Amino acid sequence: MSRFSDKKVRERNESAWLLPTGQARTNWELREQMRRYDHDEEVDVVIVGCGAGGGTLTQRLARAGFSVVALDAGPWWDPGSDWVSDEAGSHKLYWTEPRVISGEDPVAMGSNNSGRGVGGSMVHFAGYVPRFHPSDFQTYSLDGVGADWPIRYEDLKPYYEQIEEELPAAGEPWPWGDPHSYPHHAHPLGPNGEIFRRGATKLGLHTRVGPVAIPNGRFGHRNHCIYRGFCLQGCKVNAKASPLITHIPDALAHGAEIRPDSMVYEVVVANGRAKGVRYFHDGASYFQRARLVAIAGYSIETPRLLLLSASKEFPDGLCNDYGQVGHYVMVQGAQQTAGRFADEIRMYKAPPPEVTCEEFYETDPKKDYKRGFAIQNVSPLPITYSEHVTAQGHWGEVLREYMRDYVHWAVLGSLCEFLPQFRNHVALADEKDRHGLPVANFSHSECDNDKQLLQAAKSVMEDILHAAGAQEVITIKRYAHLVGGCRMAASPDQGVVDANLRTFAVPNLFITDGSVMPTQGSANPALTIMSLAARCADYLKATARSGLVAA
Amino acid sequence: MTTPGNEGRFEGYDIVKQRKHWDEVTRDVVMSRLEAPPPALEFFTEREAQTANALLDLVLAQHSDPKVEVLHLVDKRLAEGSTDGWRYEDMPEDSIAWRESLLYLDQDAQETFGCRFDECSVEQQGQIVQGVQDAKQWYSMPAEHVWSLWTRYACSAFYAHPWAWNEIGFGGPAYPRGYKVLRPGWREPYEVPERDAEDPVPWADKVERAKRSHEVRTGTK
Repeated sequence: MSRFSDKKVRERNESAWLLPTGQARTNWELREQMRRYDHDEEVDVVIVGCGAGGGTLTQRLARAGFSVVALDAGPWWDPGSDWVSDEAGSHKLYWTEPRVISGEDPVAMGSNNSGRGVGGSMVHFAGYVPRFHPSDFQTYSLDGVGADWPIRYEDLKPYYEQIEEELPAAGEPWPWGDPHSYPHHAHPLGPNGEIFRRGATKLGLHTRVGPVAIPNGRFGHRNHCIYRGFCLQGCKVNAKASPLITHIPDALAHGAEIRPDSMVYEVVVANGRAKGVRYFHDGASYFQRARLVAIAGYSIETPRLLLLSASKEFPDGLCNDYGQVGHYVMVQGAQQTAGRFADEIRMYKAPPPEVTCEEFYETDPKKDYKRGFAIQNVSPLPITYSEHVTAQGHWGEVLREYMRDYVHWAVLGSLCEFLPQFRNHVALADEKDRHGLPVANFSHSECDNDKQLLQAAKSVMEDILHAAGAQEVITIKRYAHLVGGCRMAASPDQGVVDANLRTFAVPNLFITDGSVMPTQGSANPALTIMSLAARCADYLKATARSGLVAA
Repeated sequence: MTTPGNEGRFEGYDIVKQRKHWDEVTRDVVMSRLEAPPPALEFFTEREAQTANALLDLVLAQHSDPKVEVLHLVDKRLAEGSTDGWRYEDMPEDSIAWRESLLYLDQDAQETFGCRFDECSVEQQGQIVQGVQDAKQWYSMPAEHVWSLWTRYACSAFYAHPWAWNEIGFGGPAYPRGYKVLRPGWREPYEVPERDAEDPVPWADKVERAKRSHEVRTGTK
């Protein structure tokens, strides 16, 4: 078998071969023939959320013979008929239920970081799938900031390799962190990526194309990318990866049931054991019994669900005896700098994720701040780009003039590793949603180190664009991604789950999403979330479907 | 080709002519934006609509026909509660914040110019709105958050419209065709060069000109 054979991937996860060929994007037969469980039937595991964490766990456990029901609050998309090649028309992809944001530096939600429906936020993520660096797992020991994970890079490495093959990831060989290569060759560069490389090269900075979760070449029945630039609006081509096409098809083929439009509002616990979940579907309330419960609702909804599940046994919220639930939520400082060029750039062509620079990722002993940042290129479409212009205070004719100049601009984005802080947390607000449930209030404030990183990353981006020939640069302050809120830790007074993602408080309750991350590095989190879920699945498989036997 | 206020640099560029290359679902969504808006508003009262219309025209510099119908799109979103999925803790729900901010605009107009906001000249309206941008707190709301609310709703409606794409040279929907020319300075066969492709007016001058014109028109010098 050659190194380029997909045989081993297919033996592990057949999703790409279960998609239809031709013009259809969904295997309807597979959905129609889906196994269905009764509510009264105690399934092996019920999973809350079908995104990066929940989708991956569903596939792994179904394939291992578990009976699995996976619930998602949003729809079960068909990329062909539900998604459009249009910015405003893609509003429904985002979690737009009410949420409150607060703190000194409030973080916008919705299209920025929150998905809904089967596939989760990966439906509208740009597609970058870098690994974390080994140092990310020990920032406290190495740099005296953040926190150490109860696992190390080596624990996750085999799962990074698995998931990179299953997405699959395309990119140039990676020199940073733990050097590695990618299963698919890098994609050709679009205009924005070329500008990035031109500027970085002039400054002597190394860049690499990728890593993006878009196959470059044949992979099952996935279509090749057509470079249309609408990655953030859901990939109608079935080229960019999301669990909807990379893991759910295989899960269905192995007997998993997916229940879309099902909003879980309570994890039921009795005598210290999870019994199942209650959820709303079509205006009615249901209870699904299960031997194991895994929550994968991401950094806002997972803490919210635990807090909503308060009971006599857990008066302050489920798993919250030590007041850890909802705390240490992190976002990355993701300001974007746009540069104006005499040439037409037309950055809307080609996928927005193209090129990465991790030269500033690690702590530089010569600097006053700890940890670092990555630079990637991003290519906002007109509505998003208009925010760049209004962020400069421009309106009226000046706004219109800048927008008229859209084809001349190229945009870089930074991912600054903001540090985990207890005060950055999710709590329940007084306001109620349409189900009568209190909504989440996410409070966020930057610390001094965060602010220094922002300043450093901004000046690097400006330097790169100027070196590439930019005549003017403008920067918009923004944030990206969400992790933390139910972090993993060595002991229950430090976090919510242990190294195997089992909650300290309830032995048959697991959390398998980005909320378990104690730090975030300067890497986009999707690959790490999927890898953590795949690792958790291996642990659960070893517990003979009870979740209770020590591996 | 139509552009808002007949502005734009891409002579003859008409994105709608490419619609036969778009998938059906996308085509329906985009083409519906070119239809006449429904006669009745769902969210704004008639009075609020007049203020909102004046505000939206001002922020987007829509001072002459043809105009993109922005008011109805904002009205529809507010009626459906189709928010961005968050609100600032120190702001009310988007729908309430819109109503209150329109009321405050009228109050400012009455106090300063003795008439309703939409009865003010563009110059007077400009001074009021610039006052909001410059303020820290504006009545019950942080001015910065009011500004964010207005511009988010205004721009997401305006730059969703094919006329605005014609104005800025955006390629529009690109499925299933995709793009084949991915190099700076190169165009697809159907994309057109700018009227002043040789850049006889340097970018910095264009911005200065727009700023001067904006200041004169809106009385914000």
